[in-house]
Amino acid sequence: MISQFFVLSQRGDNIVFRDYRGEVQKGSAEIFFRKVKFWKEDGEEEAPPVFNVDGVNYFHVKVVGLLFVATTRVNVSPSLVLELLQRIARVIKDYLGVLNEDSLRKNFVLVYELLDEVVDFGYVQTTSTEVLKSYVFNEPIVVDAARLQPLSPASIFMQGTKRMPGTAVTKSVVANEPGGRKREEIFVDIIEKISVTFSSSGYILTSEIDGTIQMKSYLTGNPEIRLALNEDLSIGKGGRSIYDYRSSTGSGPVILDDCNFHESVRLDSFDMDRTLSLVPPDGEFPVMNYRMTQEFKPPFRINTLIEEAGPLKAEVIIKISAEFSSSITANTIVVEMPVPKYTTRVSFALDPGAVGQRTDFKEPNKKLEWGLKKIVGGSEHTLRAKLTFSQESHGNITKEVGPVNMTFTIPMYNASKLQVKYLQIAKKSSTYNPYRWVRYVTQANSYVARI
Amino acid sequence: MSGHDSKYFSTTKKGEIPELKEELNSQYKDKRKDAVKKVIAAMTVGKDVSSLFTDVVNCMQTENLELKKLVYLYLINYAKSQPDLAILAVNTFVKDSQDPNPLIRALAVRTMGCIRVDKITEYLCDPLQRCLKDDDPYVRKTAAICVAKLYDINAELVEDRGFLESLKDLISDNNPMVVANAVAALAEIQENSSRPIFEITSHTLSKLLTALNECTEWGQVFILDALSRYKAADAREAENIVERVTPRLQHANCAVVLSAVKMILQQMELITSTDVVRNLCKKMAPPLVTLLSAEPEIQYVALRNINLIVQRRPTILAHEIKVFFCKYNDPIYVKMEKLEIMIKLASDRNIDQVLLEFKEYATEVDVDFVRKAVRAIGRCAIKLERAAERCISVLLELIKIKVNYVVQEAIIVIKDIFRRYPNTYESIIATLCESLDTLDEPEAKASMIWIIGEYAERIDNADELLESFLESFPEEPAQVQLQLLTATVKLFLKKPTEGPQQMIQVVLNNATVETDNPDLRDRAYIYWRLLSTDPEAAKDVVLAEKPVISDDSNQLDPSLLDELLANIATLSSVYHKPPEAFVTRVKTATPRTDDDDYPNGSDPGYSDAPSQVVDGGASPQTSSSSPYTATRQQAPPPAAPAPAAPVPDLLGDLIGLDNSAIVPVDEPADSSAPSLPILLPASTGQGLQISAQLTRQDGQIFYSMLFENNSQIPLDGFMIQFNKNTFGLAAAGPLQVPQLQAGTSARTLLPMVLFQNMSAGPPSSILQVAVKNNQQPVWYFNDKIFLHVLFTEDGRMERGSFLETWRSLPDSNEVPKDLPGIVINNAEATLDQLAASNMFFIAKRKNANQDVFYFSAKIPRGVPFLIELTTVIGNPGVKCAIKTPNPDIASLFFEALESLLKA
Repeated sequence: MISQFFVLSQRGDNIVFRDYRGEVQKGSAEIFFRKVKFWKEDGEEEAPPVFNVDGVNYFHVKVVGLLFVATTRVNVSPSLVLELLQRIARVIKDYLGVLNEDSLRKNFVLVYELLDEVVDFGYVQTTSTEVLKSYVFNEPIVVDAARLQPLSPASIFMQGTKRMPGTAVTKSVVANEPGGRKREEIFVDIIEKISVTFSSSGYILTSEIDGTIQMKSYLTGNPEIRLALNEDLSIGKGGRSIYDYRSSTGSGPVILDDCNFHESVRLDSFDMDRTLSLVPPDGEFPVMNYRMTQEFKPPFRINTLIEEAGPLKAEVIIKISAEFSSSITANTIVVEMPVPKYTTRVSFALDPGAVGQRTDFKEPNKKLEWGLKKIVGGSEHTLRAKLTFSQESHGNITKEVGPVNMTFTIPMYNASKLQVKYLQIAKKSSTYNPYRWVRYVTQANSYVARI
Repeated sequence: MSGHDSKYFSTTKKGEIPELKEELNSQYKDKRKDAVKKVIAAMTVGKDVSSLFTDVVNCMQTENLELKKLVYLYLINYAKSQPDLAILAVNTFVKDSQDPNPLIRALAVRTMGCIRVDKITEYLCDPLQRCLKDDDPYVRKTAAICVAKLYDINAELVEDRGFLESLKDLISDNNPMVVANAVAALAEIQENSSRPIFEITSHTLSKLLTALNECTEWGQVFILDALSRYKAADAREAENIVERVTPRLQHANCAVVLSAVKMILQQMELITSTDVVRNLCKKMAPPLVTLLSAEPEIQYVALRNINLIVQRRPTILAHEIKVFFCKYNDPIYVKMEKLEIMIKLASDRNIDQVLLEFKEYATEVDVDFVRKAVRAIGRCAIKLERAAERCISVLLELIKIKVNYVVQEAIIVIKDIFRRYPNTYESIIATLCESLDTLDEPEAKASMIWIIGEYAERIDNADELLESFLESFPEEPAQVQLQLLTATVKLFLKKPTEGPQQMIQVVLNNATVETDNPDLRDRAYIYWRLLSTDPEAAKDVVLAEKPVISDDSNQLDPSLLDELLANIATLSSVYHKPPEAFVTRVKTATPRTDDDDYPNGSDPGYSDAPSQVVDGGASPQTSSSSPYTATRQQAPPPAAPAPAAPVPDLLGDLIGLDNSAIVPVDEPADSSAPSLPILLPASTGQGLQISAQLTRQDGQIFYSMLFENNSQIPLDGFMIQFNKNTFGLAAAGPLQVPQLQAGTSARTLLPMVLFQNMSAGPPSSILQVAVKNNQQPVWYFNDKIFLHVLFTEDGRMERGSFLETWRSLPDSNEVPKDLPGIVINNAEATLDQLAASNMFFIAKRKNANQDVFYFSAKIPRGVPFLIELTTVIGNPGVKCAIKTPNPDIASLFFEALESLLKA
């Protein structure tokens, strides 16, 4: 049960403020913002998502640079409140198409109407866009999405949160297209965030995939949908032995550690043939979340060499090898490496003829940064950096640098090999053939090579 | 609709309010709607548009839901400040509540409930009654919440109008949304009422478990949280419940998963089959780990909860330590929590892997994280004896990198490691001494000085090293000064040569004449006196062997852990504080011990150093350095990780007033002993029944206990531990209970001491006890401290001094109390009875037909009670008034008196 809900901009401006119970003072938004901005407790400089000031409990999540905040005075379920804040953000995005300060301000009446239906007296009523449609009457004023970002290949999947990455479908689920008719289409995105830690000798220490099958439906009449996954998919580490015999071929079965499903999903035949059936509600939602620690082939290998080159100098060589098919291209790659604190100057050298690459020495936090616009599968790229120090190293320079961290996005690639084999839309008419988009994308979560 | 809403924010040159007024009264619908939007826009940015109240309310009568909602939004905001005008809206509300459109009916009730104006509330009752029985589920679910709103405004009205019954009926509604809201409303009402309103019977349980499957995700959380208060009758029922709840673990909503985990953990306590428990643990692990794939905010909540869960059931995630390895992009608050759990899960089996991680973290950029990682290595060394050497070699490697804060942190933990494994790793001291000059943090400096003093005989140039610090003695922080003082004394006692002798004079001079710090001065004087009167005794005291410290990574007090585990999936489990410590919503609750009882748990942060006992200002920072720790008897074997030791009373310890002076008495079982109240019934204690009571015999307090073993197995290895309490009651010696064969019993008198582990906060008579044995889990139960047990034998007062004391105490120290149910039939007998409890009769007078008696009593530390009892002999009702310098504990006194008079 929450007392208040509000949205603050990065500067602390109140964009939306709704008081549900009148038991927390009005100045709570300022108190909250000051606390978060100047947080310094327990030696940490970032406020935890839940904290208490003078008897008021504050919860917050960051969504696209906005702070979504709730307050309460009672001992509520914190995961409920945090999950609710995320959902409110998603519902608003479903309605507005684009979620940002501008769209919120332009649609404040609609947003308040939504908030009144989502929460009553602090209790969550529903966060389903589908259900809300029957109670909400304001129409969204769609802000110009094209103005927001250039349509680079990467923007088909905008950077989102871990579990629910935002798709770039910046179309409201309720607003009509300019032409008056809605286009019949459905998006199914298989989004995987991968975490890999390589040891200094290149072995994989830990690897993990956090995946989501995300759906956004614009189909009228809410037809039933069937999604078929890999037939040899198994869940739970215990299941491995049962399926092992199938893995005679190179690919092998997909073994998930754990997964969970959206409440609209029916699992009647899941155990038999790995199909999910559901009537997708309007709006964006995760059909299935899954987690996998089974070994997989990492898309990139990182080789790092650091050598002292004289008393106040060292040379760093970072080599990135893309170990995926040449038909696939990764984009927006950034490689970072912390260097010794007493580094004063860095000069870079790239491969001859390198295009779309940039290098930078981030002086304040003593980091090398190497950005690559794209990497084609099978290729290799090398960065050489000469470091100059203001003092001699303490002996073992490798202990004072690294680890190398990499972020990237690879469209049409998924490391887990989990696939949507088919997407079936139940509809009587034979002429009905809506657009179906099944898209894969892999992003780096924590992709680290130790030195 | 055209244009953007943001245009409503633009201001006009002409007076804004008159212009809006005009538009609100326009004859065109669209114009009116636009005007209301402008008003709302002004309202949300904080402008006062209350003067438009009548004009806005005039727009209320419309079929347009969009407009209606806007007007209602305005009303909720301003009705409170314009209560008289708000009445204007009542008619429309009542009419709307009977509108054919269910949305309008619900909207009317929902909005009326939000307007906290008495006159509106009056008119709410009838519509609410209707809506609770409405045909449309949307109206019913809105009405259910509205009952909670009304209860918050006027609880009596809700009870009088029978809304609670209607609400209870809704639990059986066929629509799950309605059920969920009814449950939420009832749970809130129960929370704010002291009467039992929403009791979950096995019947409601089964109804709600069924509804669970059809509810929305949020409804599932309401229901699971409400059901978590249900206590299953037996293991069978618990297993049934768990079976129904387990599928919720697969839910995509983290809140559902955590609430299900809470429910399962709670029922597991009742399940006796180890197979079932093991199986459940296995089922819970993957969903718990999956929570760590959610947004970082949720991860944080999950980690704080997992921290508690692994303290009770370490096996659940014993094999999952890898998932707690920090990710590069984890926010700092997530990393810190992961470290904490890694330490808890570290074992001989995985320590190499864990150390490798810690070492890596210790070279990262974030200073706080690095420090925490270094401490973590030290804590693992202390926790895992067989890994200690590996941990130390990692620490040494880190020291060699010579990053200043890493070195300092490493020295602090190494000092703790020395205290845990004395005489084992001193060979590394030389390496540590190399970093001496770089230390600039007080704690690190103090630790290093402690090491030098403690091992002065093995460090050739110990005197030189210490001397280098002496120059700056007056400028050092208190913590360092105290260590320097003690270390110099140690050095002198170990190497009584000329150099140290000169040093000691300098130090003692500095620490007595030149300082304003009383702690430092007192300690210096004691050393001085010891050294000048009996150097051998000084050696015995200062160089005595110190108790070995233990690992504190399971740092929560067992009773607190219990409470927190019962509060999994609530804020309590994130703060690691009991709900009373931070819930400030006014409500009638019995006073409870506050969070100060839990020195380790009350801190949501990260208190690490195992030897850190005191953390207040000038007090000695590390008990390890205190010369008197050795004379203090080690705490009795704890039933669980020992709570932090109290601040030692310096003089008391030295003069021998410490509890070691009290010889534990092993009283034989007294056959004529009175029957004791049962505190742990055999049904709860898996066959072990414990009855106990505090008693006073020959001026000593004892805990009289009776153990009855009704289980099938012999029980042995009994130990007892008392939580902090108002009077600091603690065991004076170990619990002496022989092995208990099945079906036998044993009595014991456990000698008790006072003022050992005092809790702060309001006085409370609660005594929390933990008892363990080698065969069973730790049992916790609550006892009550009756104040008369504390009444001392020297509590008798002369008449004169009684009168004088009575007069000298201000009237504000007088506390009256009526004891209506008490009858005194025989004054003589009562006086004898009270005298037996050290409540001494002083005088008696007659006042009309009433008898007035005066008594005196005293509790330790010389707190007197002056008591006046007024009654008519043979008639019920005793009036009591007391005066005491300490009126805070008057309520405890009356509790005791009542029990004495009833007896």
